Amino acid sequence: MNLAPLRFHWSMSAAADPKRRTQARSALSAVPDFPVLLNFCRMAEECGIDSLLTAYGAHRPDAIAMASALGVLTSKIKFMIAIRSGVSAPAQFVQQINTVSALTNGRVCLNIVNGHTVDELGCFGDFLDHEGRYGRTDEFLHLCNAFWHRGEGLVQFEGKHYRVTNGRLGSRYISPDGRVAPEIFVGGNSATAEATVIRHADCLWRFPDTVPVVGGTASRLAAAGKETGIITSVIARATREEALAETEEMREQFDDKARSVHEQALARTDSVASRTVYGLARQAEWLTPTLWTGAVPFMGPSSVALVGSYDEVAGALLDYKAAGISQFLFLGWPDLEEMQIFAREVAPRVREREAAAAALLEKAS
Amino acid sequence: MHIRFHWRLPQGGDRPGRPDDCSRPDLEEQIPFCRDAEQLGIDSLLVDFGLEKADSIVLSTALGVATSKVRFIIAYRSGLLAPTSFVQQLNTLSSLIDGRISLNIVAGSTPAEQRSYGDFLEHDDRWARTDEFLAIARGIWHDGTVDFDGKFYRVEKARVRTAYTASDGSRAPQIYVGGTSEGARGVAERHADCLLVPADVPSRVASSIAPILRKGVEVGVRATVIARRTRKEAVDAAHAFRDSAPAWVHGPMTQLVERSDSHLLRNAFANASKEWLTPWLWTGAVETQGAMSILIVGSYDDVAGALLEYHAAGITQFILSGWPKREEMQIFGSEVMGRVRRREEVA
Repeated sequence: MNLAPLRFHWSMSAAADPKRRTQARSALSAVPDFPVLLNFCRMAEECGIDSLLTAYGAHRPDAIAMASALGVLTSKIKFMIAIRSGVSAPAQFVQQINTVSALTNGRVCLNIVNGHTVDELGCFGDFLDHEGRYGRTDEFLHLCNAFWHRGEGLVQFEGKHYRVTNGRLGSRYISPDGRVAPEIFVGGNSATAEATVIRHADCLWRFPDTVPVVGGTASRLAAAGKETGIITSVIARATREEALAETEEMREQFDDKARSVHEQALARTDSVASRTVYGLARQAEWLTPTLWTGAVPFMGPSSVALVGSYDEVAGALLDYKAAGISQFLFLGWPDLEEMQIFAREVAPRVREREAAAAALLEKAS
Repeated sequence: MHIRFHWRLPQGGDRPGRPDDCSRPDLEEQIPFCRDAEQLGIDSLLVDFGLEKADSIVLSTALGVATSKVRFIIAYRSGLLAPTSFVQQLNTLSSLIDGRISLNIVAGSTPAEQRSYGDFLEHDDRWARTDEFLAIARGIWHDGTVDFDGKFYRVEKARVRTAYTASDGSRAPQIYVGGTSEGARGVAERHADCLLVPADVPSRVASSIAPILRKGVEVGVRATVIARRTRKEAVDAAHAFRDSAPAWVHGPMTQLVERSDSHLLRNAFANASKEWLTPWLWTGAVETQGAMSILIVGSYDDVAGALLEYHAAGITQFILSGWPKREEMQIFGSEVMGRVRRREEVA
């Protein structure tokens, strides 16, 4: 078992929206509530959260501008900036990230996503299909890494989607620990997403599934020296009954309108991750005693949730850890309250059991 | 119309002790500079874009949240960001700093630099792409949803959910276009609020900008200013400015012009063969300090008079820089601006 402590990240995308994702995206204003988000960042710092995800999409504020503004007003939290290929020139993107790193002393990492909905992609002028987009992402990440790792050399590249000759930039990635490039996560459940991590990144974000399924992903990536993380919603309460009561309360708010929003989303998406989770939700409402899909038809794929008592949720995280998972990215309802519960009740239980396991291992050796 | 004064933000590497590193923001120096500008009544700060520099949008974001009044003119080029994504970034920034942003859209000055960004277009095509870029961006700002199928860009139902946000009610940033070529002027006519031209003799400026003024586009002048109590002090300071460039600069600067396909750069260097174009317009520093270093030099009254000559020629905005960078802005704000305002009122 991996001895390094699990790393915990949180999503900031809906931090100012207590009814996360029950509304259609087109109903959201997408103008960020800056004071609320800044407070969320500071709370996350107190909670010991590693980084905060700012997602990417036509219905959201821009992640790089948000991270720049929040980054200069915070001191510890990192910002996980979601980005797709196809919206920026690799050198320009690297220049933006390098500038954010200089402003925040390296408190920035990346979440590379593929986009999921054809009409939303067309809005950005992106008309490639699922595999075509991954093909371009492959070139994009190759080039970004080439700029970050070039040393004194110049970047030369001629691909299907990009071409660069004698490429260089004045800026460098700035970090306190000598990293020359940000940590790179790739979000996805497809085989292509896994291949992208193996070629260019550090860690895959996948949606949860049963421990053996997730373990399969983790062992494939571990064989290539890469990490696997799980992106999941979470409801942890003092007792299992209280946690289940929360799901019941949510269930009462679900209506046909929310379901039709997500049925339409499913019909339009070409994301393997989204389809997989909608499929799991049709299979069973409880995939394991702690893995609940009941909200998925009404709130979308990222509402697949770990549900249970503090001990049960801590146990579920450690079961995943035993199967090779090293990081989690959480969403909550609402995010701030759930993050505080998690930090106060779940994280210490995980740390305690991690310490006990480490002690046991030391004794045995 | 009241003349508007903007100033160029010094880059990280401009500070003694931080040589050769323009690429890192220098907030310790730049935030006080911005606050000085606010106090002095400078309208906006120009944030450069370039391969050697920090990203201008990210840097403006950091400076914007640390200030409350001054605006930022963000230099950017087409071909770097998808237009929808560009609007999304700027709208997000507008919501964070109450719309205190404008754009300076440029075409890029050397083909070699553009190739680092994967941009292999030649000069005229870069302006043609900029035209499409601005058509889409402005369409999203003013019409909400854009369908566009051009030579360089295609978008379907492009829109951005994060609205452009400014308490003065504006729905888009003001757009400055810099350049002297036909391509630049065409783009300015179609899309800009203000065309930026380099300093030249006011009568020449007047005749060259007449057509664009007739289209209802403002024209602004970019120049470097050295104003002192007396003309002699100013001229001495101008010579010191010329000589302050490190010895290695001269050759590279000339090479840069040779490599460049920018009409603006070439014209500036062609002008530099005659040192004093007017009693206050000096090109002596262009060879060592670059194309934007055509100097307006003189006593406080001389410089105020020069600006008013431009005003009479149709110029309504200035983007200035000075030397020494921070001190010159303070001198300008406390000595020259008041003189201009008083004489504006008399006129």
